[in-house]
This record gives sequence, structure tokens and C-alpha cells, in this order.
Amino acid sequence: MSHAASATHWDAIVIGTGIGGGTAGRALAEAGMRVLFLEMGGAGHRAERNGLSDTPLPEARLVRGLWPEPLEVTLDGRQRRFHAPLGAGVGGSSVFYAATLERPSRHDLDDLPDQPHPTGGWPVGYDAMRDWFDRAAVLYRLRGSPDPLSPEPAGPLLPPPPPSAVDTALMAAFRTNGLHPYLAHTAIERIGGCLNCLGTKCPNRCKMDGRSAGVEPALATGNATLVTRARVTRLLGAADRVTGVEARIGDETHRFTARHVVLAGGALGSPNLLLASVSEHWPEGAANGSGLVGRNLMFHLNEIFALWPHRGTPDSGPSKAIALRDLCLRDGARFGMVQAMGIRASYGEIVHYLGLMLARSRVAGVPGLRPLTRIPAAVAARLFGHAQIFVGLMEDLPYPGNRVLHDPARPERLAVSYDIHPELQARRKAFRRAIAHAFRGQRRMFLGLGPELNFGHPSGTLRFGHDPAQSVLDPDCRSHQLRNLWVADASFMPSSMGVNPSLTIAANALRVADAITKDPA
Amino acid sequence: MTRLAPQDGIAIVTGAGSGLGRALALDLARRGFTVVGIGRRRDALEETQARAPDRVFPLVLDVSDAAAVRDAFATLRQRHGRIALLINNAAIYPHRDILDETGESFMESVAINLGGVVNCSRAALGDMCETGHGRILNVSTFADLSPLPTASAYSVSKGAARIFTRALIADLGDRFPGIVIGDWMPGMLRTDMGIPDGLAPEQAARWGVELALRLDPALTGAVFECDTEVLPPRGLKGRIRDMLLLRRRRPRRLS
Repeated sequence: MSHAASATHWDAIVIGTGIGGGTAGRALAEAGMRVLFLEMGGAGHRAERNGLSDTPLPEARLVRGLWPEPLEVTLDGRQRRFHAPLGAGVGGSSVFYAATLERPSRHDLDDLPDQPHPTGGWPVGYDAMRDWFDRAAVLYRLRGSPDPLSPEPAGPLLPPPPPSAVDTALMAAFRTNGLHPYLAHTAIERIGGCLNCLGTKCPNRCKMDGRSAGVEPALATGNATLVTRARVTRLLGAADRVTGVEARIGDETHRFTARHVVLAGGALGSPNLLLASVSEHWPEGAANGSGLVGRNLMFHLNEIFALWPHRGTPDSGPSKAIALRDLCLRDGARFGMVQAMGIRASYGEIVHYLGLMLARSRVAGVPGLRPLTRIPAAVAARLFGHAQIFVGLMEDLPYPGNRVLHDPARPERLAVSYDIHPELQARRKAFRRAIAHAFRGQRRMFLGLGPELNFGHPSGTLRFGHDPAQSVLDPDCRSHQLRNLWVADASFMPSSMGVNPSLTIAANALRVADAITKDPA
Repeated sequence: MTRLAPQDGIAIVTGAGSGLGRALALDLARRGFTVVGIGRRRDALEETQARAPDRVFPLVLDVSDAAAVRDAFATLRQRHGRIALLINNAAIYPHRDILDETGESFMESVAINLGGVVNCSRAALGDMCETGHGRILNVSTFADLSPLPTASAYSVSKGAARIFTRALIADLGDRFPGIVIGDWMPGMLRTDMGIPDGLAPEQAARWGVELALRLDPALTGAVFECDTEVLPPRGLKGRIRDMLLLRRRRPRRLS
């Protein structure tokens, strides 16, 4: 049986409906192209409000919009399997995000005389990206206040919600320390009855994500079609073109065709699909002339710490509002921005957190340690009351050895191999020192025992560049070899930046869509 | 929305032709709700309706018939509006020794006491999942804990219905926290199914309706007996942890 959507030769097929695919598909549909979205997860119910979870059964995970299988991580040679914070449903991982859409700093993209870039700079620099950042900011209805340290225009920002008493007190304390806090840039409309869906699906079209700002407006144009529960298994094609997309829907395999194929399965899923598309024409996998498909995998490093507001600060709930970029670059080292996580930790929460940290640490096997975390946490809670949790988001650098692993025997499994380089260890220690120095005089506690990779921020596995030998994609994010294959997710990023990736993914997706609509073929 | 109001939608009470079901339907009607009373006996339902003619609408339906329930719920949605509250109350309690049961007679009880809850809940969830709000209250019993002689089919089917409550919550609790689901044990009542010197069903119904109208997500999974919450048993570890964390759980009350 053939699928109804396989009868059409589409203008574009978009594989994956996260922030990249959703945004690109919307722009294409709004430009009048006929777009087919293929989404591995289900359509779900709009009223759902669940967050990420460790529920084990694959079908239960898919129903919740979660990636069905665990991620297999070989970290410094040690194997672990766990459920990464990855979505599989309309909106992808973005329906679970905290909607922090931060604009990169110039040094994140450009090679500057006093701030050399680790890759020599992105092939499309800050000035060329600026207009796309602005457009994405409008599309995602970004709110916040300008970063006082940035010499660049802040772009179109809607007024942020007024800071809470805790935010105001913390920001005043930070300024006393010579820091430059601002109100973080968030894509939450804060309509009446806003549920503040940080980490959970938003039932109200209030949080702007790949679904509410991407797929739904795309479908509203009448030019787009969404097929869910369609697991794309491989790309088909000849030397320089993709001629078909093969997907399993239920028990059947279907083939869809289009003039353009936009790959947006995420920085783990997209390279895995290309590696799964080995054929006579593509013996190393699709678009893999460089041999770099899946390589240069990066995550951010989370440096999480609790910060207690000064005594007498009224307790007005968790803060998700504060961000600062004082520590992005220090003495030539690339660190990253610091932001509130939107978590207010009480005694029990810190116990839980420390327990999790301990479970992942080298002393995980030592019995009887876990209850001990209650003692410092109890002391802290007694002394200080509620803490606000902050995270320093440290930039990861690309290494070809850190990569997505593909196993033809288990083609749908997501697996990565990642080594923590001595350079990263050293930089993390320096970052911790910088945090401790920046927040000196404030009551604080680091909540991490070792380097903690942010598995929700993978990037870099299909890097873009000018040289086909050194990159998978050209500067338009089109495959160097397959001239109708484009990539619109975080895979394209040659460096991971010191800020959250979402705004950059959305902005680049708009840029890619624009290039597609202007392509004469 | 922490409390259901008549403008949120209609209430459905199964087994509304007698005893507790009738008392629940009439109490809800008194508070201004449009109530669809479901039962198998038309004359009994009409007697319930006669006491609140503007608000109670009888619906003759066998809750063990999945297709009939599906169709009937679709129709009443068109006629009366969306479903905000479902009280699964209908049950049968045949006092029958196991040597007098057949496989068929046993499964007949299961079809009503468990199947009825499954069928009606499933049909009502269509509306509730659309809006993300709703209330399902299952009238329950501790009969499963130590079955009495001649109560095998009742104990098994009502016990399974309690498991179904927990399974519903496992499937829906995290995705739809605004759909509040729980069990309520009304106590020993002076009804056909109960005991002669039991509690007046009208008294129990006041508690049941109070519990049914509370739309607090924190009530999902809670079990109430009469007007008081039954706390889940805590093991030694749990009690020590409560002590360490300075947590002492107190049962919630309805009155």
C-alpha cells in the first residue's frame, strides 16, 4: 500500500520537526512551497503538559514525545545507556526546552584579532547572521533586556516580564560584584494563565517552540502536510542528488520524493541517518565525502551551582530570569554564559540533586555515601533557606574523535563516543574558579562533582564550511556532494558557542529556507 | 480552576437509579450541575429524575457494552455539552459461592464492575484530553484486600477496578495533570448493596460530591474513605526518611 503523501512530488521534505525543521518548514510553506514534514514521533494531544521522564517502554516514550530508546554513550571508554533529554514528536526536543533563546556573541562565530576562534571562524559570520537572528527573534516573540556587555545592537526584543523580588535582589548583588546581569531572552509569551512551562510541554501556544512557532503556523498556510510516526530509515539517491526518502510507517515502508530534502533530525539523528544511507553510490554513507559525518560532536558542559540570596530577600519563587556574560571569555579561555535555571532548591531538592551527581561519579559504587549528601544539604537548608540554582554553560570544542557511532546491525540506535580532553578538564577547572571569583561574597555551593555534559545540546556533527574536505555542508548548509540535501538542525555548527543553541538553530533554519527558495534548480 | 463548576460541563453518574448513585446525582443537581444518570432500569432512573426534573437526565445504558457506551457518550456530548465529571458508581454484588458461579456468571460481574469503569472512563476521556481538564472519581471498596465468602466476583472485579485507577494515572497523570483521577470508598451504606444499619446514602453522597468537585491535581491517586484520606502504607525506610526530612503526612479531609 502506498501512503497518500507518496503520490505527491513535494517541493521540500523536512525530516524532523524540532526547532530547526519546524522553523525551516514554516518559512518554506510561507514562501508558497509545498512541504511534507516527516516526524518520527506522534502528533500527541495539544493539552499535554508532560516533561522529560525515564519511563522505560518505547511506546510510552513515543506517546509522551520522548525519544523512544536510550542513548548509548561511551564516555572516556566507559559505556553507559540512559534516556537523554531528546524529544521525538511534533516540536522535537524544543517542546521540553526552557525557551532560552540567547544570541551568540561576536566571538562565538568570528575569528577576531584579540579573540581567535578555535575553527578559524564560521563560514557565515556574525554580521551575515545578524539579520537572521533578528528574524528568528521576531518569530519566537523573544522577550528580555539587552546584554549590557555587548557592543552589538540587541535586535528586536519585546519587553521582559518584570523581575521578581528575588531577581531584583540577586541582580543588585551581582552588580555590587562588578557583574553585568540582564533579563534572559526567553520565547514565552506569558499570556494570561501562563503555566511557565520550563521543561514541560506547553498546552497553550504560549511557549514558542518548533511546534507552536514552526509546524503549526506551517500547517496553517495550507501548504504543508504532516505525517507522524514516520521513522525515516534512509535516503536514496545517485551521485549528486537525493531522489527519495524511505520511511517506515507502522509495519510498512514508504518512499517519498521531493525537489529538496531538508534534514533536521537533530545533531545525533541526522548524521545517524546519513550513515545509515550507505549504497553503491554512497559507500561511506550519504553526503560523507569528507568522512566527517557524525564527527566533531560537541555538548555544552553544565557547571551547576546553588546561590543563596542575601538574608532578608523575600522568597518570590524560582528565578529563570537572570543571565550574564561576564565569564564568556577570560584570559583567552572560552567559557560561556551563566544563567538562572528556573529551579529553586529546598533541602529535599538539593538532596536529590547531590544524589544524582553522586550516582554518576567515580565513587558511585561506594555504599552508604548517598545518605551522607543529606547532611550538607540539611545544614545548608537550615542556614540559608531556599537556594536559586544557576548554570554556567561552558563551550565545548570540536574533536573529530568525539562522534556519533553508527552500527548497521542496529541502524536506529543512537550512540556516541566522547572523550573528555585534558584541555576541557583544565578549562572546566578554570571556569569553576572564575565562577567562584565572580560570585565571591555570596553564599554558594557547586552541585557538580565532575564534568557534566549537557546531552540536550548536541551539535557539530555535520559542520558547515568552505572546504569539502574539511566540512560536510557548504556555507548555505547544503551538502557539498548532494546538491538538493540541506541541513537545518544543530549539526551544522562548527563550534558550540558559549550560549544556548536554540536561537542560532532557528536563525540558521530561516537562512537555509531562504537559500532553498532562491535555488534555481 | 481548582473546583468544578456547572459551567465547566456536565456530570455523569453511573448506577444512578438507586442507592448511592441516585444520592450523588441529586446532590450534584442541587448544586446546579446538569447530570446524566446512567442505569439499566428506566423506571428507576425516571424516579431519580422526578426529584430533580430540570437537571437530571436519564440514560438507559448497560455500561458493560463498550460499543453502546461509546455511542451514547457521543450523543450526550452533542445534546448536553462536554463532560467535566464522571463518577463510576455502577456495580453489582452477587452473593454467590464460587461453586455456584460459572465462568460466564463470574465474567458478567467483571464486565460491569471493571468493564463499566473502563468503558465509561475511556469514553469520557475524549473530552477531558481535549481540554486537559476533568474529574474521574471511582466508587471503590476494600473488598479486594480480604475477600469475603460468596464475594469472589465482586472482590476480584472491584479490586481490578482499583488497579485500573492506578493504570489510568500511570498513562495520563504526567501528561494531563488537570484530569484528576482517584478512588473513593463511601463506607458501609444503608442501600440495597449495603447493610441495614449503614450510613444514609445522602450523607455519603455529600462527601463524594465534595471530593468529586475538587479539581486539585494533588488529589490524583489519592484514596478517600468516607470523608478522610487513606494514606498509603509506609515501610520502615519511608518512615525514617519522613522523619529525617521533617515530613509528616496528614490525611486530607472533606468536611
